[in-house]
Amino acid sequence: MDSAQREALAKRVLALSDATQTEVCVFSGSNELTRFTHNAVHQNVADADVTVKVRAIAGRRTGVATTNVLDDASLSDVVHRAIKMANLAPEDPDQPQLPSGGETIAPEGSYVAQTAHATPQERAAMADAIFKAAEEQDFWCAGFISTSFAGVTIANSSGACASFDGTDAGVNVKMNGADSTGFAEGYDTDVTRLDAGAIGKTSARKARDSVKPRTVEPGPWTVILEPAAFGELFTYLGDHFSAQSFDEGSSFLSGGLDKTYLGENVTILDDYAHPLSPGMPFDYEGQPTQRLTIIENGVAKNVVTDSYWAKKLGRENTGHALPAPNAYGPQASHLVVAPGTKGLNELIAETERGLLVTRFWYIRTVDQKQAIVTGMTRDGTFLVENGEIVGGVRNMRFNQSIIEALKHCELSNAPHRTGGYAYSVVVPAAKITGFNFSSGTDF
Amino acid sequence: MSFDGLAARALDTASKRGAAYADIRFEVNRSERIEARNGIVATLADSTSRGYGMRALVDGAWGFAASSDLSEAGVDRTAARAVDIARAGASIARRRLGEAPPKAYVDSFATPVLRDPGDVPLGERVALLFEAEKALHVAPQIRVGRAWMDLWSIDKFFFSTIGSKIQQTIRQSGSGMEAMAVGEGDVQTRSFPGDIGLYKAGGWEIVEQARLRENAQRIGEEALALLSAPQCPSGTFDIVLGGSQVSLQMHESCGHPAELDRVMGWEANFSGVSFLNVEQLGKLKYGSDLVTIVIDNTLPEGLATAGYDDEGTKSVVSDIIRNGVLTGYEMSNDTARAIGRTSNACVRAQSWEYVPMIRMCNLNLLPGDTPFENLFDDVKDGIYMESNRSWSIDDHRLNFQFGCEIGWEVKNGKRGRMLKNPTYAGVTPQFWNSCDAIGDKASWVAWGTPNCGKGEPMQSGRTAQCASPARFRNVRVGVGYGG
Repeated sequence: MDSAQREALAKRVLALSDATQTEVCVFSGSNELTRFTHNAVHQNVADADVTVKVRAIAGRRTGVATTNVLDDASLSDVVHRAIKMANLAPEDPDQPQLPSGGETIAPEGSYVAQTAHATPQERAAMADAIFKAAEEQDFWCAGFISTSFAGVTIANSSGACASFDGTDAGVNVKMNGADSTGFAEGYDTDVTRLDAGAIGKTSARKARDSVKPRTVEPGPWTVILEPAAFGELFTYLGDHFSAQSFDEGSSFLSGGLDKTYLGENVTILDDYAHPLSPGMPFDYEGQPTQRLTIIENGVAKNVVTDSYWAKKLGRENTGHALPAPNAYGPQASHLVVAPGTKGLNELIAETERGLLVTRFWYIRTVDQKQAIVTGMTRDGTFLVENGEIVGGVRNMRFNQSIIEALKHCELSNAPHRTGGYAYSVVVPAAKITGFNFSSGTDF
Repeated sequence: MSFDGLAARALDTASKRGAAYADIRFEVNRSERIEARNGIVATLADSTSRGYGMRALVDGAWGFAASSDLSEAGVDRTAARAVDIARAGASIARRRLGEAPPKAYVDSFATPVLRDPGDVPLGERVALLFEAEKALHVAPQIRVGRAWMDLWSIDKFFFSTIGSKIQQTIRQSGSGMEAMAVGEGDVQTRSFPGDIGLYKAGGWEIVEQARLRENAQRIGEEALALLSAPQCPSGTFDIVLGGSQVSLQMHESCGHPAELDRVMGWEANFSGVSFLNVEQLGKLKYGSDLVTIVIDNTLPEGLATAGYDDEGTKSVVSDIIRNGVLTGYEMSNDTARAIGRTSNACVRAQSWEYVPMIRMCNLNLLPGDTPFENLFDDVKDGIYMESNRSWSIDDHRLNFQFGCEIGWEVKNGKRGRMLKNPTYAGVTPQFWNSCDAIGDKASWVAWGTPNCGKGEPMQSGRTAQCASPARFRNVRVGVGYGG
């Protein structure tokens, strides 16, 4: 379904509602993914769907109903259900007027037809290139090739009407040897820019370079986190940038803006138009999204808002609403850490003794306020001595405050997009001193 | 609603296009979520989703396509697409992975429901949560109160080219609440029941079992008290874990490693592999003699209970660990065949648009004979911990670290003062071999997990890990805070 069809559908549904305020979201999309293990495809999938979500506001009462059945009777029913729930809901005195939207322009490169129309045969060819990279080293590989299209249209009774078509593609490879593994990934809105064979070879090189891993002692280490590792760690700060957690006291920024919380070399943005991750220029209320500086040289400058939290806190609506119903508050969905000045190799060369980490796994928050998280290294962890990578090490568990890490870090000069569909951030590599490892493993 | 005609058409199309086997699963899914938060209804929403997913097997390779287009033309396109996708996979395969299931069934299944949630007026459903949420706010420091419920209805219609025709009517319900207290530089949460609520197969009776109103004030008071409670000490202690924490411990360190797709490397790039291998069956001493874990997808009220899995295999009861020894895996048709066994019906898809894959379903740690209060009797210096706050385990499922919301000192067999921020860590087989007491049937609960992530594209699965509280000796405590 294209944007014109979605807008026609949204307006048709909007016209069915006699609620005080109504918002209609139409989501259309397709997701295709070729997944492989042991150099063979074992899951090869495609799905397509169109969903209509109606938010009805009766006075200050809200109800939401969703359907993917698009005949006239079902569309009428979904509106009726939303209104019925709204009429039964208690009043919310802070219920705002729905935003009236505004002009937005999709960032260049956010939609690429070759990605939207990629075939299973094209994904198979990319997977085959990875298989060959594995076979050259006598490894086996596991991973996926994904291509997707997502269309979003938001229309409401305040006059907002916004549409966005986006695509995305990903290559994810774990290379497996007898006693070592390696990982590499690539994400782009344009599938033709992803070199699956090269990504496969990078993961194979990491597996090859980490054979016969040694054990190192846990404790405080200097670490160089490659973007996949740093990006996943950094993602666990994301909720702290929400006006909701800021106001309710669970954010590390709750002490107030215009205060220094992180190192002066750390600047954090929310930028839907970053060239490495061009995304939707409005939020799920149809409000144009601001390209926002959240932390500037370590100083808190902004938190993200939606219409509800903007009204509640008397702040500007920055256009960061999630789809209704949303108990989680506004979220920064396009986080970027500004790069530093040194190359990754320079950061390694300047390290007397440290660990180079390819990727983390299973990070979870241990302490919300201090942003202490735990997790494991995975798929390529290396010992660095006197500026040189000297070999692989067995994996270790860390317990580390992200806030403290960002007070003691150097950032590389090359931004990368990492995270795939679970999350997406643009970050450089980061060298962090005093990173706390608490235990090790036998692999 | 009958899908017989569309199913026949889809299976015929797939066969004519070259599929050696095909199946199609229609689903009509309805959900309702209500969440009260700080005195307002933050969520009052219902959703309907209808569609179908189709598997096709070509030259030993699977293809899967899903669509919500229920027209004849739509079904034709989707069937053709599944075959096309399978053929693309087969074109680069180094080996054959798939075969048709060995047996067909014609049957139906329905979750027993004592009271249909639809018979409870919406106003009454909202009022329950409002009352509970309000009672959480025992002091201004309770900055966030939440109370929620989920009501799910899944109607499945499964057909296959070997003659299966299975209709299932599944009903699941759950509810819970949480209080967040904010102090000077500190945030503490308490949740109930467990850490995510009580989720089971069934109707309104499951919501009533949670007893939110009756426990809300206590939960608020505990969250408040945690702000001034002493930090949990670091060191090696005997620990007693509450039932919901044992449930999660079992989920992460028994359920996931025993998924045979992980053992075989099918999840290697994402969810990870397993420290287990097939040669360890019948040999590995996974836990102490007290530890017996079965897969029981027929269990009354088990969140994953169903008559059949999403490959059309009939639910059975089978062992994973018997008296501490590894005896089985959670299996699909293809993985079971690879080790010379038959599937134990552990294949599920999140919904119609997702491919079926091995999921945990219902794990059941058989209860012991120790009444809950007697679990502390033999503990000279230990910690009792309840309700998970953080969980992490490596990609082989060996090195784990968990944090709980609340702890209490245990001195000479008696529970003492409250402790904040308890964490513990260990290595899976050593930990389960240190288990020397399991709570009795009276303390056993069919704890459900409504949001287990696995697979790519990521699927959210509904699993259960039925458990009682249990005691473990000489466990490393406090590591999350530098201990």
